[in-house]
Amino acid sequence: MLKLSTIQKKQIVGITGLAMVGFVLAHLSGNFLIYKGPEAFNGYAKFLHDLGALLWMMRAGILASFLLHMGFTINLVITNRKARVNRYYKYQNHRSESSLATQLMPLSGSIILIYIIFHLLDFSLADKVGIIQGIDYGLYGLVINTLKDPIHAVLYIISMASVGLHMYHAFQSVFQTFGLMSEKNQPRLVLASKVLGVAITLGYSSIPVYIMMNF
Amino acid sequence: MAKLKSNEPSGPVSEKWEKHKFDMKLVNPANKRKLKIIVVGTGLAGASASASLGELGYNVHTFTYHESARRAHSIAAQGGINAAKNYCNDGDSVQRLFFDTVKGGDFRAREANVHRLAENSVKIIDHCVAQGVPFAREYGGLLDNRSFGGAQVSRTFYAKGQTGQQLLLGAYQAMMKEVEAKTVTLHTRAEMMDLVVVDGKARGIIVRNLLTGELEKHAADAVVLATGGYGNVFYLSTNAMACNVTSTWRAHKKGAYFANPCYTQIHPTCIPVKGDYQSKLTLMSESLRNDGRVWVPNAVGDHRPAKDIPEDERDYYLERKYPSFGNLVPRDLASRNAKEQTDLGKGINGGLAVYLDFADSIKRLGKDTIEARYGNLFDMYQQITGTNPYESPMMIYPAVHYTMGGLWVDYNLESTIPGLHVLGEANFSDHGANRLGASALMQGLSDGYFIIPNTIGHYFGSNDLGKVTTDAPEFDEALNNVQEKINQLVNIKGSKTVDHFHRELGLLVWDKCGMARDKAGLEEALKRIPEIRDEFWDNVNVTGDGQFNQTLEKAGRVADFLEFGELMCQDALHREESCGGHFRTEHQTKEGEALRNDDDFCFVSGWEYNEGKKAKLNTEDLTFKDVPLSQRSYK
Amino acid sequence: MAEDKTITLTLKVWRQKNAEDKGHFEIYKAKDINENMSFLEMLDVINDTLTLNNQTPIAFDHDCREGICGSCGAMVNGVAHGPVSGVTLCQLHMRSFNDGDTVVIEPFRAKSLPVIQDLVIDRTAFDRIIAKGGYISVKTGSAPEANDTPIEKKKADASFDAAACIGCSACVAACPNASASLFVSAKVSHLVLLPQGHAEKKRVVQMVDQMDKEGFGGCSNAYQCQAACPKEIKVENIARMNREYIKEKSIR
Repeated sequence: MLKLSTIQKKQIVGITGLAMVGFVLAHLSGNFLIYKGPEAFNGYAKFLHDLGALLWMMRAGILASFLLHMGFTINLVITNRKARVNRYYKYQNHRSESSLATQLMPLSGSIILIYIIFHLLDFSLADKVGIIQGIDYGLYGLVINTLKDPIHAVLYIISMASVGLHMYHAFQSVFQTFGLMSEKNQPRLVLASKVLGVAITLGYSSIPVYIMMNF
Repeated sequence: MAKLKSNEPSGPVSEKWEKHKFDMKLVNPANKRKLKIIVVGTGLAGASASASLGELGYNVHTFTYHESARRAHSIAAQGGINAAKNYCNDGDSVQRLFFDTVKGGDFRAREANVHRLAENSVKIIDHCVAQGVPFAREYGGLLDNRSFGGAQVSRTFYAKGQTGQQLLLGAYQAMMKEVEAKTVTLHTRAEMMDLVVVDGKARGIIVRNLLTGELEKHAADAVVLATGGYGNVFYLSTNAMACNVTSTWRAHKKGAYFANPCYTQIHPTCIPVKGDYQSKLTLMSESLRNDGRVWVPNAVGDHRPAKDIPEDERDYYLERKYPSFGNLVPRDLASRNAKEQTDLGKGINGGLAVYLDFADSIKRLGKDTIEARYGNLFDMYQQITGTNPYESPMMIYPAVHYTMGGLWVDYNLESTIPGLHVLGEANFSDHGANRLGASALMQGLSDGYFIIPNTIGHYFGSNDLGKVTTDAPEFDEALNNVQEKINQLVNIKGSKTVDHFHRELGLLVWDKCGMARDKAGLEEALKRIPEIRDEFWDNVNVTGDGQFNQTLEKAGRVADFLEFGELMCQDALHREESCGGHFRTEHQTKEGEALRNDDDFCFVSGWEYNEGKKAKLNTEDLTFKDVPLSQRSYK
Repeated sequence: MAEDKTITLTLKVWRQKNAEDKGHFEIYKAKDINENMSFLEMLDVINDTLTLNNQTPIAFDHDCREGICGSCGAMVNGVAHGPVSGVTLCQLHMRSFNDGDTVVIEPFRAKSLPVIQDLVIDRTAFDRIIAKGGYISVKTGSAPEANDTPIEKKKADASFDAAACIGCSACVAACPNASASLFVSAKVSHLVLLPQGHAEKKRVVQMVDQMDKEGFGGCSNAYQCQAACPKEIKVENIARMNREYIKEKSIR
């Protein structure tokens, strides 16, 4: 870790982040099956489960991405804090809008981390039992029952907003980190980043809203 | 009075340098490492010399009072750098650049040096392009040129209005490469306080570490000064705040002759002085005169705003007096005429400013064209003055800009102290009595990249230099003198600031030894300067102690200006003629133009320091074989 | 011409004796300041008063006072080089302030730019970074004819824009991570955009390594540097540096 330059570390953070964007999108498309009903949703879960070794490899990949992303981020944050050891009495931030997402990266990242822990406890590691009106709908039921709870739902939506905010900075940032940003394409990339962030937030948040309205 | 010998080689002027390069002695590559050279200053001349000498394998130690070598004031040069490339196919040649420079200098420069400068100009461009200097280019990808004052061909290479910056960064970077290669040792925040002469040769310097205040002794086999000009003797100038005469003045006091100190260049287009608080003046590029018209109100006491003064009540005095060159007369003429108008009381609001008006050009070419040509300059003007030059005319006034005088050097750039070489603006060599635009950068780099690497080897090859260490008594003596002076300065604790004295000196010499000089005024200045100096040493307040102390740094420099100013006035008084930047009102034609006296003053004045007495004059006779002496005319 | 307007300000200035001193703020009244003064001239006036009262003047680096040498700079009310964008501190004029304002003046801060005294900082780290490759290796006298290599105008202009960096360190000062990425990338871009500078591939790696070694932070793409830069150097250059870095690291 010590031998890598700050640019390389940042690039690792970027590439692992990008992998997780892929995961988040794939996960979202899976989640959307909830609108098709329990068969489709549970069927998809079973399909994934039946992948066996392949699924474990994917899980390992995601876990590795996640750990590397976090590890190098923490490492960089420590480096950066050390470099900025002398703080200002007065400091004015320049770019209000995009820099808000940038400034909030540690916060949104931390929320996502806490969320993931609870998410794993709630769904992945829980018994896949979800009884609705006396019938066990398996994972589908579990999701419905969990997100029916308004506190759960609100926390879920806040977490998804954090994911969106994280994306807003991260997606365009990856292009900068890999040297693909130019003055010309920057506005487009920033817009794409914004759209992605909003789409992911809305996409995921639509599920608890749908559940609360229908169950 | 002794005659100074230029030591230039014999033969036709165009073959001298080539011949000399062959005739000069060389130093074996293995021996270069053992030879230590001190370079003082990291502007264009100093940085380029350090880089080149380092490349050759000498053990170079470079000193600058700046915190980084890149801060030297060469960085502020705007316009460009001349080179006889003839890319424009407009009839340029080495011969023509040589001719223009000698004539522009009003026949007070050494022909052999100027020709060598013109020859080197071509190689400078090649080298700088290879170094990555991003000169302006045409659409086809080749280098662009523009025209500049005093020449009828386009031979100026430029990088927007930041040519000096780009050239300096090139030289600085080349030097930093040698620092990494350990051939150059760079000492920053280190100010040279004195030169050490052992057995008649320059063998070291005393340096003040500006961070700790400690004085250090540095011994070497040769010393190179590239410490710039003395324009700040006038307090207000376009020079940077820290520019000073200390290094060259201290060398002068150790035996180096000071040549032509009265040749100072006043740049015509600067932003006028606003108030007592003003600390420095800002130049507006000379190129503005291509499209701007200079005028003042016809009537004394006409204080109406510019827009309310009708056309027939304006005096476009340059166009009136010089119909063929108009607003594009050379710098010295443009400056002197502005002074003439304000002396008549016709300055704007009766003050020291004239108009530079773009209204006609904007009407003729459109605002967009003017903006494309001068946008950054207009912005700069607005930033400083708070007025919009697109709407109301600019106000300008001449300001001290460059000093042609400097330490006397021979053809090898060696001063009258053996082993002490002087480069760039610090020497007197190539510009005579007036420097042409875009020639300062050329000279600094020619000296540093292409001359000193050759001639310093010749010095080593022709002299048997014994070993000298800092244990030599001369080092301690010099160090003690410097220390004593510093102690004196911090202990006066008087009631006036350093700037107070600097301002007083500046106003005096600007008034008496500025754009126009006369006997009575110079004599008065010569009486006043010692008085100001005495009061300085009696009543200046240098706060703080001998450590990191910016007031103390300034005080030492002003103390030297207070001595130097006297020599400048003495030289101006002695030179009973007008030439280039030196205009004696007693010597002018009926039309008010400068009148040279070639019979009595066709020489370089090399002043010799004379402890406690008036400096002694030595001269180097100038002969003009290839550019015949003639009177300049721009009518 | 109308009389020049004057204003009175309260200055809160960072005073620090030397690198070891902890430092503190000192309050000064700047009375009857002519609005046509530059910011540094205003400090000159304060310093004159301090000197005449036998107090130590405020130390600050400055030289050309026309925005090109890169010596000056301080945080003014939390903004590098003060409230006007695209100018250095010496080009800032007092008409940008209102009568009665309080102005906080702090040195540029970063671990790698330690304070020497008051507003004077040590920027030698920048020189050491340049020494690691911020040049094109060409021996004096060995250059080919300048017009042998045409350079696409767009590239030459872009190279110039990057080369306009004055090394003032406002980018580091404004960066939440105290990163020197904008400074380093400006030099990398200046040189790599030119055919002459293309051959030295290791430049970018050596300079970045030195930047890390000096203790500057990494880039988090917050772009505060671009907003602070008095020469308006663009973060596009950082992208180019990152690109060159990958190219060099992956091709080797």
